[in-house]
Amino acid sequence: MKNSSDKKYSIEISQKEAEEIRNAIKAASLKVMDEYIERMKKSWPNRPEAMQYFYDIAKFFGTREREIQEAKEEGKKVIGYTCMLAPIELILAADAIPVRVSSGFYDPVKLGNRIVPVEVCPVVRSTIGVEMIGLSPYLKLSDALITPLTCDGMTKLSEILSDSKPVWTLYPPRLKDSEQSMFFWREELRTLKAKIEKLTRTKITAKKLKAAIEIMHKATRAFRRLQEIRKDAPVIMGRDAMLVNQTSMWDDIKRWTEKTEELCNELERRIREKVWACPPDTPRVMIAGSPAIWPDNWKLPNLVEEASPQGVIVADELCSGDRFLFDPVGVDEWTMDDMFKAVAERYLLPSTCPCFTSEDGNKDRVNWLTARIEERRVDGVIYHVFRGCMLYAMEYMRIKRVLDKINVPVYYLDTDYTREDVGQIKTRVEAFLEMLKSRVEF
Amino acid sequence: MIVAGLDMGVQNVKVVLLKDGEILSHGMVPSGFEPEKAVEQAFQEALKKAGIACSDIKYVAATGVGVELAPRVDCKISVVSADAKAAVYMYPSARTVIDVGAEESRVIKCDEKGVVLDFALNERCAAGAGAFLEAMARALEVKLEDMGKLSLKAKGTTSISATCVIFGESDVVSLIHKQEPKHEIARAIYDALAERIVSMVHRVGLKPDVVLVGGVAKDIGFAAALKRKLETEILIPKNPEYAGALGAALYAMENLGGSRK
Ligand code: SF4
Repeated sequence: MKNSSDKKYSIEISQKEAEEIRNAIKAASLKVMDEYIERMKKSWPNRPEAMQYFYDIAKFFGTREREIQEAKEEGKKVIGYTCMLAPIELILAADAIPVRVSSGFYDPVKLGNRIVPVEVCPVVRSTIGVEMIGLSPYLKLSDALITPLTCDGMTKLSEILSDSKPVWTLYPPRLKDSEQSMFFWREELRTLKAKIEKLTRTKITAKKLKAAIEIMHKATRAFRRLQEIRKDAPVIMGRDAMLVNQTSMWDDIKRWTEKTEELCNELERRIREKVWACPPDTPRVMIAGSPAIWPDNWKLPNLVEEASPQGVIVADELCSGDRFLFDPVGVDEWTMDDMFKAVAERYLLPSTCPCFTSEDGNKDRVNWLTARIEERRVDGVIYHVFRGCMLYAMEYMRIKRVLDKINVPVYYLDTDYTREDVGQIKTRVEAFLEMLKSRVEF
Repeated sequence: MIVAGLDMGVQNVKVVLLKDGEILSHGMVPSGFEPEKAVEQAFQEALKKAGIACSDIKYVAATGVGVELAPRVDCKISVVSADAKAAVYMYPSARTVIDVGAEESRVIKCDEKGVVLDFALNERCAAGAGAFLEAMARALEVKLEDMGKLSLKAKGTTSISATCVIFGESDVVSLIHKQEPKHEIARAIYDALAERIVSMVHRVGLKPDVVLVGGVAKDIGFAAALKRKLETEILIPKNPEYAGALGAALYAMENLGGSRK
């Protein structure tokens, strides 16, 4: 344990204060989660049995927390990550448990404000606050963190978290498609691999890596199957699909895969029987931009699907959602070299985060968005931006111009980790949905 | 067939009565702390002017930020759709609607039927709406009603930034200390607000004809500033503050299957 004066940011607060705040926020969060799940159930009364599993895992504290705790007691290591550029296969190959730790809790933001200015992206401020009081079991249980340095916020967050845990930075090149970038990125991952091996005392052999890739292939297949189901008339509400996607970030990935397949079986049956989750002419919405992270930042999904007129979220472009497990690792030959190369490519090339740029102005992102819009028959896009998230904010005009051209309405919605703007956002969302509805009707 | 549109604004509750698609009368009462009462009074005012009884109203549609507080209405419509409907009703050539109210402002692009194509609302900050003018007039120690006329005398020798009401105020105070003429400061105030609105217009895209509605539309200082910044003609109806209520009334009429005769 480092001496407090050696610390770079000194985010610690007195144990008593930490405990008091933690207990208060945890109690409030449990209530919020229950309430949100109830509200989701209410807007999808004829939901399938198989959804219940995900509601349980979504409780965040509890079952999964204990499971990880027990695995740790048996000697397993837990490796947290702050962003989807972290290669999960390498974690699994070392028999460690991957968990995503970027925070969706609102209240810890106030603690984060003691360390960084309020202008900083709320995900960053909240994650700092969560660490200060030990709120997230997954962050607390992490033995080390992988922190991709995607934006300024994430870069400094990495430094701040390094005061309390080993932090392994990953530096993604901002230009993806060049030889030197790929070379650099592979070297980054090679260094990371060595660190993972050292912590877990497990050698990542070809056999182990292959097994890990196969686990994630199955997860991707289930994930894609679920998104595929959202193409047609709605058999699942968007919030529920988003919750399933998100639980993959802390659940046991094998079990999650099975449960998702089960859910998909049920949903496909419903497609055949034409049992819709909401009227098939409900405006079809896509959420693009900054992530909507469970539990507190379910604000926007809640508003869209509870609005009048109601909307249904059929797609999102969030790193916490539709993009997360979308791409499989493409292996040609199962040699160590080839597998490693394939893993590196999987995490860099398909990523459409606005932290990347290219001569064609992040065309990858544009292509991803327009492909999803077409295949899911999206009526309109809500472009969600956190206050302080420069990258998503700045790329808005680029995206809007493209969407204008293909005649898909887009609405820019900025928000923060606060409950106070719900009323204002509601006005905006309802006006947008009303507009989509009248366009569909005319 | 008589229908009513009700606009639950932050500052005022407004009512418009329509008979077979023609405006019968208006009513407006400060929202205050008892919205139910304000609605009642606004209706009374409009009914009295029209010389009809409450029971003559077949249908009521409501809009506005406080729409949740509206008692006994038949349907609701967003302020955005209401504005678009009202603008195209008043000016069939309207394609861009700018509404500047006390606490909120918005820009709407619509088609010839009054269907919304795109829109933007001011960020959660009063610097982009009428409240900004009130605060600045106070800092300048002039009456808001007089500030518009005052500003028209100016040549545009100075400017302030309107990122926020608080900063705006300190800008004004320091200009006063520099002994900048009041009319110049007044113009700078209108320019700053117009600037914010114009950046919203550009987010949505400017398509003529442009219609300006909302309470602030009556302020000649603001209208002049907006015209300068947009470099285009602006249509301003006679009762711009009733646009939301009118749009709601038109919606009520549509819902009953009626149309303008
Ligand atoms: S939301 Fe924006 S600022 Fe926040 S972590 Fe993501 S890219 Fe960075």
